[in-house]
Formats: sequence, structure tokens, C-alpha cells
Amino acid sequence: MTTDDSETIVRFENVGLRYGLGPEVLQDVTFSLAAGSFHFLVGDSGAGKSSLLKLIYLALKPSRGLISLFGRDIATTPRRELPAMRRRVGVVFQEFRLLNHLSAFDNVALPLRIAGVRKSDIQKHVVELLSWVGLKDHLDARPPTLSGGQQQRVSIARAVISRPKLLLADEPTGNVDDRMAMRLLHLFEELNKLGTTVIIATHNSHLVEKMGFPKMHLDEGWMEIVGADTDRASVPPASEPGPGGGLFDDGEEDEIRPDLEKLF
Amino acid sequence: MFARRSDLPLDKDALSRFLPWLIAFMVFLAILAMAGMLVLNATASRWDQGIRSTLTVQIMPAEDPAKDDERLQAVLSVLAQLPEIDRYETLTDDRLMKLLEPWLGPAAGSRDLPLPRLVDVELKTGAVLNAEVLSRQLAALVPGTSVDDHRIWLKRLVRLIQTVEGLATLVLAFIALATVGTVVFTTRTGLDIHREAIEILHLIGAQDSYVAGQFASRAFSLGLKGGFFGLLLAVPTLLGIGYLAQQMDSNLLPEITLGPVHWSVLAGLPLVVSLIAMVTARITVMKTLSRML
Ligand SMILES: Nc1ncnc2c1ncn2[C@@H]1O[C@H](COP(=O)(O)OP(=O)(O)OP(=O)(O)O)[C@@H](O)[C@H]1O
Ligand SMILES: [Mg+2]
Repeated sequence: MTTDDSETIVRFENVGLRYGLGPEVLQDVTFSLAAGSFHFLVGDSGAGKSSLLKLIYLALKPSRGLISLFGRDIATTPRRELPAMRRRVGVVFQEFRLLNHLSAFDNVALPLRIAGVRKSDIQKHVVELLSWVGLKDHLDARPPTLSGGQQQRVSIARAVISRPKLLLADEPTGNVDDRMAMRLLHLFEELNKLGTTVIIATHNSHLVEKMGFPKMHLDEGWMEIVGADTDRASVPPASEPGPGGGLFDDGEEDEIRPDLEKLF
Repeated sequence: MFARRSDLPLDKDALSRFLPWLIAFMVFLAILAMAGMLVLNATASRWDQGIRSTLTVQIMPAEDPAKDDERLQAVLSVLAQLPEIDRYETLTDDRLMKLLEPWLGPAAGSRDLPLPRLVDVELKTGAVLNAEVLSRQLAALVPGTSVDDHRIWLKRLVRLIQTVEGLATLVLAFIALATVGTVVFTTRTGLDIHREAIEILHLIGAQDSYVAGQFASRAFSLGLKGGFFGLLLAVPTLLGIGYLAQQMDSNLLPEITLGPVHWSVLAGLPLVVSLIAMVTARITVMKTLSRML
């Protein structure tokens, strides 16, 4: 575990969280994630996975303890500087949280628009990314007319479109079949190879085991990191097939792994 | 600006349905108040100018009507020597009758009534003549002569106009306040309705100003829409009032007209109100959002 702040993307120190006057949902959570690491966040339903992610994407304030993001203590960061930090974080929300009056295209384009990217640059990226997640024919569809799995893919596309430094995905494969789940996980994996730090909360232990990345295990508010050490070592060398590579024979590899240079 | 895409479904909420109507009403009232002010202002200055450079000399009828002409000539000979005077003119009996008719009725036509003689005096531009001094001078020569420089009449008129103008200003201020209040209320409602969408925008990294900009440009375009409608209603109303005023006796009322400058000031009011709406919406959103995480 590195102690150098510039290398640490997320750091929690004795973080506790309670909703209102309820019991502590998270207790004394302490960990730090190195830049470029890939973790699964696992635990039973209600263990606090979503709550932990909310703390990281600055939707909640901890009841106690210290959280730092990109080396900055969020408690002392002025409010007006938070948007810039949030732009470096891509989030796939458990309940998608798409804007229902906007088309799939506009939902995915939103982070780029907010960041002030030129219109001409937006168009191409968004269409390519949506095509890659299999929504080429649904660019103009509003979220309410899409299936759960399709909405989930729009939400994933929105989270990764701006190539965030940190990607937080809350149950991102819960509504798609295993094959699509693998395809999406590979998207995250490729992003990770390009330097994005990834945390994926999931119940799907099957996938977790297959991918072989370290786990952040939440149980009754306590967290421990198990499997591999949390450092860069967890990132599979780009030249060799990653831990998940064995899932597919070589013929399938090409179509299932995104060519990110083309996508972004 | 109008074609700007909105990330919030603002056109489907109360803000959009309610605001244009209110703004139309505000603009309608504002235009009427403003037009009243402009007319009064123009009229007052026209009267003021006209009155400042004229005097009226009044020679009361003598006991012996035969002497009237002599008395008039005496006065005229004094006036002829004053360098400040541009020209003077004795009102003919016919014109005098006409002036009196509205008060006395056709009876004024009978020549039995002893009438004073009136002389209209026009001063040279820029010249000042003390009416009181002249009055004393003339009265010494021809008893029963007086000079009226309309000062009292003017003073009262000015006071009246100032009062009405003050009221109109008050009405305008009230309209501005009501507009601000309405926009604050509808914007807060809008923020409440779209709370979820706004939170998503925040989490994606939108600045407060990004969200505020959407509300502000929405308020601006709704304001323009409503304001234009208000203008559309106000113009025929003003023209109607103008027409009615013209039908009244023009001897009593000075000409009431709005010049092109006035019309363009009035036409600019919808824009002003829209800008007020825009700025208000922006400030309201920024204030409200600053309390969010
Ligand atoms: N807004 C809230 N108000 C009060 N309690 C909440 C709120 N959100 C979550 N909780 C509580 O916090 C605990 C953790 O919830 P959380 O959503 O983080 O669990 P989770 O691990 O994501 O569960 P799941 O796997 O079902 O998504 C639960 O007991 C839940 O009841
Ligand atoms: Mg959850």
C-alpha cells in the first residue's frame, strides 16, 4: 500500500456513516486505493456497498472520519471546487439515474456537454460508445422506453464517456445476461489498463472469482480487503491475457474487448 | 439563446405555464403606467415652454363702454415700446366668445355681456419680463388692467403632474417587485420539481451556474413570450385611449401624443421585464443550490 498521496486516489480513515439517528451503516472504515487499481466491492444486500460508493462520489458526507479524493481532504475542499473533482469520477448508479426526458444519446453526451466539450467531438464518441454497448438502434430512445438492461448500459456509457480517473460502478451487470456482463466488465478492465482506478460493487461472486481482482469485503459495517495486494500488482500486464482472459477463446476475444483508442 | 437545449424538463412544469401569463399582465400594466408618465412628461414640458414665453394682459371693461377702445390703445402703446416683446395680438371678440362658450353656453354670444379685452403677448425667445412690474405699470396708466403670466396655474399643474408621475413610478416599482416575487416563487417550485435531475447533474459534475443558466434562460424566454403578449395587449389599449382623448375638446387638453422615442421605450419594456426575470431566476437558483451538497 502506497502512502504517497499523489498516487492514492481514494483514502478513508476511520470513516463512520449513519443515516439520521439510525445505527452506523459503516464503522471505522479505513483503506486507500492506489491509482490504477481494480477492486470488487462485495457484501450482502444492505451491507453498505452503495453507501460506501456514495461517500466516494460525494453524494453523502461521512458522520465521522476522513475521506480524501485525488489527494484532497473533501471536508476542507470548498464547495465550488467539487464539480471539477466529480468530473474525474464516473459513476454507474445502482438505480441508473438517467434523465428520463433526454434521449439515450443526450444522456451519454451530458458529461461531455457539462465539461464544455465541442459538439462535433461529442457526436462521434457518443455514437461509437453506445454502439459498442449494443444500443446503436436506440440512440434516440428515452430511458423509460428501454429495458432495464438497456438503461443500465446507457448508464455505463455515461459513466465512462469522459474517461474518468476513477470509475465507481454499483451493480453494473445486475440486469444483463452473462455474456453482456462479461463484455461490460472487459470495458472496465480496458479502461483500467489505461489508468482508470475502478471499483465495482456486485453480488455476482461468479464474475468476481473469474476476474480475480482483489475484493473489498463489507460485513455489518466493517470492511476488509481480501485477495491480492491493493497495489498496481493487481493490474494485469497489458501484454498477457488478464485474469478474465481465460473466459473466452481467442476468436471471441476481439469482438468482446473494446478498442478503447477507437472508442474515446 | 432560445434554441438552447435544456437538460431539465423545464417546459413541462408550472413555471412554464404560469409565468408567461403573469409577465404578460405585468408588462401590460407597466406599459400603461409608463405611457402615462411619458405623456405627462411631454405635455408638462410643452406647456411649460409655451407658458413661460407668453403673457396675457387683461383690461377690464370700463363703466362707459365707449372708453374701452381708448384704454386698449393706451395699453398697446406701452407694449409696443417694450424690447422683450416679440409680438402681441388683441383677441377678437369672436375668439373670446369661443373661449367662453364652454363655460357660458350660447349666451356668451349676446353682445350685452361686458367682456374684458385680452391681449396675447409673446416674448422673444430667452427674454424675461417681470409680470408684476408690468402689471403695476399698466394699472397705473389704465386702472383695471392686470397681467397674468400663468405662474400660479403652472405651479398647480406641475404639482399635479408630479403627483401623478410619483404614483406611476410607484406602480412601476410595484410591478418590478411583483415580477421578482413571482419568478422567485416559480423558480423555487421548479427546483423542487426537478430536484432529482438537478442532483444527477451535480453528481456528473455540473456547476451551480450550469443549472442556474438553464433556469435563467428559461425564465428569460418565458418572460419575452409573456412580455410580447402584454405588449400586444397594451398597444391597442393605448391607441384607444389616445383616440378617446382626441375626441375630447382639444382647447382644454393639450395634444396628447407619444413620439417614436416613447414608443420604443415602451416596446423595450418586455425586454426589461424578461431581464429582471432572468437575473432573478439565476440568483434564486444559485442561492438555493449553495445549500445543497
Ligand atoms: N437514504 C437512506 N436512509 C436511511 N437508511 C438508508 C438509506 N440508504 C441506505 N440505508 C441503509 O443503509 C444500509 C446500507 O444500505 P446500502 O444501500 O448501502 O446497501 P447495499 O450494500 O448497497 O445493498 P444492496 O446490495 O441491496 O444494494 C441499509 O441497512 C439501508 O437500510
Ligand atoms: Mg446497493
